[in-house]
Amino acid sequence: MGMKEKIIEQLRYVIDPELGINVVDLGLIYDITVNEGNVSILMTLTTPGCPLHDSIVGGVKRALLDIEGIKDVDVQITWNPPWTPERMSEEALRQLGHR
Amino acid sequence: MLTTHQTYETNIRLPFSFILFGTVAFLFSQMMFLFSGPQMVIGAFRIPSVWAAVHLTVLGWALMVAMGAMYQLVPVAFLTPIWNETVGFIQFLVTALGILSFSASLALKMQMAFFPGLLLTFGFVLFFLQMFMTLRKQAKKNIMTLFVGTALVCLLLTIGLGVTLTFHFWSGTETLDHLLVLKTHVLFGIFGWFTLLIIGFSYKMVPMFSLAHGFSMKLARYVYIVYISGLIVSFFGFFKKYEALFPIGMSLLFVGFALFAYHMFTILQTRVKKKLDRPFLFALLAIGIALFLHGAALFCSFSKNVPIFNILIYAYIFGWIILSIIGYLYKIVPFLWWTHRYSKKIGKENVPTLKQMMNEKWTVVQCSLFVASFIGVLLALIVSSLPLFYIAQGGMLLFSLLFAGSIISVLLK
Repeated sequence: MGMKEKIIEQLRYVIDPELGINVVDLGLIYDITVNEGNVSILMTLTTPGCPLHDSIVGGVKRALLDIEGIKDVDVQITWNPPWTPERMSEEALRQLGHR
Repeated sequence: MLTTHQTYETNIRLPFSFILFGTVAFLFSQMMFLFSGPQMVIGAFRIPSVWAAVHLTVLGWALMVAMGAMYQLVPVAFLTPIWNETVGFIQFLVTALGILSFSASLALKMQMAFFPGLLLTFGFVLFFLQMFMTLRKQAKKNIMTLFVGTALVCLLLTIGLGVTLTFHFWSGTETLDHLLVLKTHVLFGIFGWFTLLIIGFSYKMVPMFSLAHGFSMKLARYVYIVYISGLIVSFFGFFKKYEALFPIGMSLLFVGFALFAYHMFTILQTRVKKKLDRPFLFALLAIGIALFLHGAALFCSFSKNVPIFNILIYAYIFGWIILSIIGYLYKIVPFLWWTHRYSKKIGKENVPTLKQMMNEKWTVVQCSLFVASFIGVLLALIVSSLPLFYIAQGGMLLFSLLFAGSIISVLLK
């Protein structure tokens, strides 16, 4: 398994506690860059002014620093493009009562 | 591409200090209402014990909780950190002491309420300064800023008018027409401060809790314009003693609120979260109750029936303001405690979801008890039934105890 796949799997442990859905299935992760153990995550949140902003960003950092070989994690939040429900996985939609 | 590393969380002790104080104040205020039953059922609302109970409810509970929630919500909703947390703690102590001494003074020696009123005013000024300095830093102002900013101006006016009333009691002289000041104090206090604040934050919380997306915010500016016009026209009706203006003011308030209710409905139609959390549904029920009460106030504005307005004010405070706050608090308190206990553990170990922080079925039982008690008290006031009042107000007191228990239970998670 490559480093990016490992990162994605690890990010599935970071749950949005309001929705009970992980950040990958919610479609919050926009980009992952790995450069000699330094990881850069570009992600969003479901809404600007999300009260869980700091918790989720901190959770992403802590989760990834647990992976062997990762020295540093930089998480950047962007609102452009904004998150849309279309980014959610089938599983996430099902958990929210769709279908 | 705009990115950010900014953090917005407030020290949890600050909002919790306000919320815990509010919860205890609510319990005591409901006891005071219970003992005021014989006077209330005969329409005597302007008596010391009722004034004390109303102010302990409105200031001790609703205002303190609103302030606590603002210390938590303003940084996250407006993406702006709180200006100065130390000032926040000082403000809490001053305001808490002010409310306790002011309520006690209203009940025991009303002539002296002017002095604790000044202490209370100092607490509000500190809060106003805190919010002004915080909102001033907000990079991009929006319609919520306008609602919350105007609500704060109304709060300041309400306080100024309240202090004027207590000055009248103390000095025995009237600097302004006492009845005009009293009516305007109530108008700006409950329609201005609380309603504008709840509307403003609803524009953040309703889409957030329902995961609504792709809705238009255009209607919000019309809600603001019409509602503010209603406040201004009603005020001029009082000021100029031109009674024909009052129904026009009430019509504008009703239309403004109806637009808001419709806007909330359209926002909810775009929600991704199909099954909404139960306590949040009670906050939405409060919008329906408020719409009905705005309509009832419009209908009654054509008559000069003062007792019915006293009952409407009671209904507005409990059915709209307090029920909204309760509905949102069932979401806010678990969030605050979760942030304190589990925020640093997310991504490291399994953490509970916010829903698991509070027994949802139990919150439904409590909210249902609140609504039933509220309706019971209203009926008791309308038909002047003391036994019914005692039963219903007893239910309200039981609710306040259970609610305090629920808040404490979250702190044990």
